Amino acid sequence: MSGRRIGVYVCHCGGNISDYVDVDAVVAAAREDPDVVVARDAMFTCSDLTQSEIISDIGEHGLDGLVVASCSPKLHTFTFREMAKRAGLNPYEYTQVNIREQCSWTHTDDHEGATRKAISLVRAGIANTKGSAPLQPTQVTTTQRALVVGGGVTGMRAAIGLADTGLEVVLVESQDELGGWVGTFGPMFPHGTVGKDLVARLREDIGRRPSITVLTRGRVTSRAGTYGNYQVGVDADGAHHDFEVGQVVVATGFSAYEPGPGEHGYGAPGVLTLVQFQELLDRTEGRLAYQGRSVESLAYIYCVGSRGPEHAYCSRYCCSAAVHASLRVADVAPTARQYHLYRDMRTYGRNEEMFTESRRRGSLYMKFADDDPPVVETGTDSLTVRLHDLLSAGEELALPVDLVVLVTGMVPRQQDDLVGVLKLPVGQDGFFNEIHPKLRPVETVVDGVNICGACQGPKTSAESIASGLAAVTQVAAVLKRGTADLDPQVATVLAEQCTGCGDCTSACPFGAISLFGSGNGAKAVARVDAAGCKGCGACVPACPVDAIDLAGYTDHQVRGMIDALAMEVAR
Amino acid sequence: MTTLTPSLIGPELAALGDFDAQACMNCGICTAICPLSTDVLPRRLMRYAALGMAERVRQEEEAVFSCLLCRSCEENCPAGVHITENVRLLRRWLLEHPRRLN
Ligand SMILES: Cc1cc2nc3c(=O)[nH]c(=O)nc-3n(C[C@H](O)[C@H](O)[C@H](O)COP(=O)(O)OP(=O)(O)OC[C@H]3O[C@@H](n4cnc5c(N)ncnc54)[C@H](O)[C@@H]3O)c2cc1C
Ligand code: SF4
Ligand code: SF4
Repeated sequence: MSGRRIGVYVCHCGGNISDYVDVDAVVAAAREDPDVVVARDAMFTCSDLTQSEIISDIGEHGLDGLVVASCSPKLHTFTFREMAKRAGLNPYEYTQVNIREQCSWTHTDDHEGATRKAISLVRAGIANTKGSAPLQPTQVTTTQRALVVGGGVTGMRAAIGLADTGLEVVLVESQDELGGWVGTFGPMFPHGTVGKDLVARLREDIGRRPSITVLTRGRVTSRAGTYGNYQVGVDADGAHHDFEVGQVVVATGFSAYEPGPGEHGYGAPGVLTLVQFQELLDRTEGRLAYQGRSVESLAYIYCVGSRGPEHAYCSRYCCSAAVHASLRVADVAPTARQYHLYRDMRTYGRNEEMFTESRRRGSLYMKFADDDPPVVETGTDSLTVRLHDLLSAGEELALPVDLVVLVTGMVPRQQDDLVGVLKLPVGQDGFFNEIHPKLRPVETVVDGVNICGACQGPKTSAESIASGLAAVTQVAAVLKRGTADLDPQVATVLAEQCTGCGDCTSACPFGAISLFGSGNGAKAVARVDAAGCKGCGACVPACPVDAIDLAGYTDHQVRGMIDALAMEVAR
Repeated sequence: MTTLTPSLIGPELAALGDFDAQACMNCGICTAICPLSTDVLPRRLMRYAALGMAERVRQEEEAVFSCLLCRSCEENCPAGVHITENVRLLRRWLLEHPRRLN
């Protein structure tokens, strides 16, 4: 007996657990432990009703520890920690045991085995709670300044939003001017807004906000520090700057796909990428002409560089951008024949209206099979595109045209420097990865580093700006409180035991451990910076004399759990 | 193999009236609904006409003239294509450009 007063709650999860695990048997096994004062089952432990029952149990029975046996800790750890707090119990005196993902869902063919496993895990959970201690979060004050890397529409809009929440902003752009891709565009879909004008307005908005420092021809050279307080180095225009910032927002955008020589005739006169064709349209006044010759017919080939072996994703913006370009052509050259050779039209949302309008105004759409792309024949003085049109029963069509537009997609920007400095997580597709595209869409696994805009993956301008504003909300939520609570489950050094060998300092992937206090005959002792420690535990096994413990996962607790599981096997 | 050139029927049909087969989005609802529902009526016929494939239209002369003009398709077309008006224009075009005998 440890003298603890522990409550154990075993969940049915509707039938998700109790259809396979004998919940009553698990409750009965828990009651066998002399330290368990209360053990009950519940249909849905996470429901408000059950939570308030647990809270009254805690008061009534003077519970000083909890075990909840239900689903994955990923789902409800915070739910039950908050519940414990409301009952006046330290949230770290509670242990989550997963008998759904680890028992009922995995062993649907073996009810008895699933029940035995659940009992073992609950006994281990009880042992863990017995060894638990109340922990208090470390509170740090946060720096009221954010760094935004990349000055395209996303970064510009994010900088303005951050400044408007009252934060100071450092906006670093690698080029001579702010603006990114949109800063080079003429009329854009869906509203016909001229990209250059949009960027000019954003520049003015930035100029009116003295709390935004803009550094062009800049690059981020270093980042150090701990949660909410980072030191970043920036080289800009030959000068070096150091800033203290609380959070970093990365909005470094994308590159346009550049077709290889000969890819769909690329390189031959009259074969243009969408970027080049838009430039041609922007230059056009009156007659649409290419190299002095009127353009009477053109073919758009969609999905060039997207949805293939090299870049498997859809670039999202290009269907709409090509349709929009064809409407601009219809304005300046109403009689021009426009053929759109596509795989799937993805003019999603209201852009569908542009697609309809373009057909009404004469654009002809043809569909080719994924494994049978169109062929561009480049003669001395002519261009012919051939395809099998799935909409005409696979009929082979030959289209003699004056121009071929390759509807090129987005590819990740080569960013090795920045990825190295910020340790940015790069996905399989080469774009930066958020934690979860829907639930945590702008945070990364790197503390304090957020991402937004087209550096995350293909996005239209409006989508990019929306994600920039999401980053504003995220950063403001972290910084505007002025302080942040850090997880107290961090490594602690038992100073009397530490020999000062320093093995732990090199084991820590976050550089959070250093040696202190040598000289004067005193031995050096390792010290953990609680704000820098992520609680990963890498240092614990590295210590040759067991002088490091991880709060919340102490050796004592882990041994207790192993003993409980071993006892189960011995039974 | 068909080579599409501007000289084929597209502009000629447009000159005859309010021809709008190019607005078709190829969903196929019309063909599902058509009481005759031949291989070509009406979706594929609209397609041939829109692309200006004169030879194909001539080959499908029968289909063009067998249409009942009942407008079931047109009532249900989500793209608002005036299918029966287009069939009428195709009939006129066929009469004005009969198949050459060789
Ligand atoms: C041909 C074409 C047409 C398009 N048309 C439309 C349209 O009509 N409508 C629409 O909604 N969308 C359109 N888009 C999509 C639109 O361009 C993007 O959604 C938008 O540019 C994304 O903005 P961003 O700021 O995230 O990225 P970007 O525009 O790429 O800006 C990123 C910025 O970061 C800077 N940067 C990069 N790396 C670093 C670094 N390491 N340090 C500092 N700065 C860095 C870059 O210099 C750049 O200024 C089009 C795209 C293309 C290619
Ligand atoms: S948006 Fe359209 S053109 Fe671009 S990759 Fe997706 S399907 Fe292809
Ligand atoms: S219903 Fe209309 S849009 Fe659909 S295939 Fe027929 S004509 Fe085309």
